[in-house]
Amino acid sequence: MAGTIIGSGITIEGEITSDEEVVVAGTVRGKLSVDGGVTVEGGAVVEADVAAASLSVGGHVTGNVSASDRVDLLTGGRLVGDVKAARLTIADGASFKGNVDMDV
Amino acid sequence: MVRAPAMQDNDLDTSGSVLGRGTRVRGRVVGEGDLRVEGHVEGGVSLTGELVIEEGAEITGDVEAGVVTIAGTLTGDVSARGPVAIRASAKVSGNLGGTEVSLDEGAEFAGRIEADFELPAELQGGRAGGR
Repeated sequence: MAGTIIGSGITIEGEITSDEEVVVAGTVRGKLSVDGGVTVEGGAVVEADVAAASLSVGGHVTGNVSASDRVDLLTGGRLVGDVKAARLTIADGASFKGNVDMDV
Repeated sequence: MVRAPAMQDNDLDTSGSVLGRGTRVRGRVVGEGDLRVEGHVEGGVSLTGELVIEEGAEITGDVEAGVVTIAGTLTGDVSARGPVAIRASAKVSGNLGGTEVSLDEGAEFAGRIEADFELPAELQGGRAGGR
């Protein structure tokens, strides 16, 4: 079970740091720094730079993203910003605008 | 546990939000629904639903919610539309406002309590200014 769940009705403006898994179903504006995985659910809005071990995007993310492991852009997800990750998947039906740095 | 088959947006109960033990928020938390805080929040919290500040959690900032339950540490004012409960493990420094306020034995509290309640008839009138 997720350590932190930001529910669909909740908006956080500011900086979030966490060393456990974070699920965003609501809105986050600012900065998100997580040692674990971050899941952005469908309908969620993240307007923040995101640093995480892994990031799964089913909602909308605007901001630069860096993941030590992987970034998965799911169907219906939208990511506007630069991605720095060792592995990146973009599913059919996802939208993406930005640069990718896979650290090669 | 049985789950509904259509669970694209509802594969977890996102009406109840949790800020876990390892999570720290610097900024404002606002919104609808309930929130359980186990970690740290530096900044205000404003909710329509219930706010639970768990034991070990720490909030610095003013708090506004429907119902407020505090078992952790709060530095800031509380404004509740419903009841406020301060548990034994709580450390609260700030003013409390709500329809009713309960303070458990063992809780540390510094501040004012303002509970809006109707005095019973026998206490109303005739004893005004009985300070």
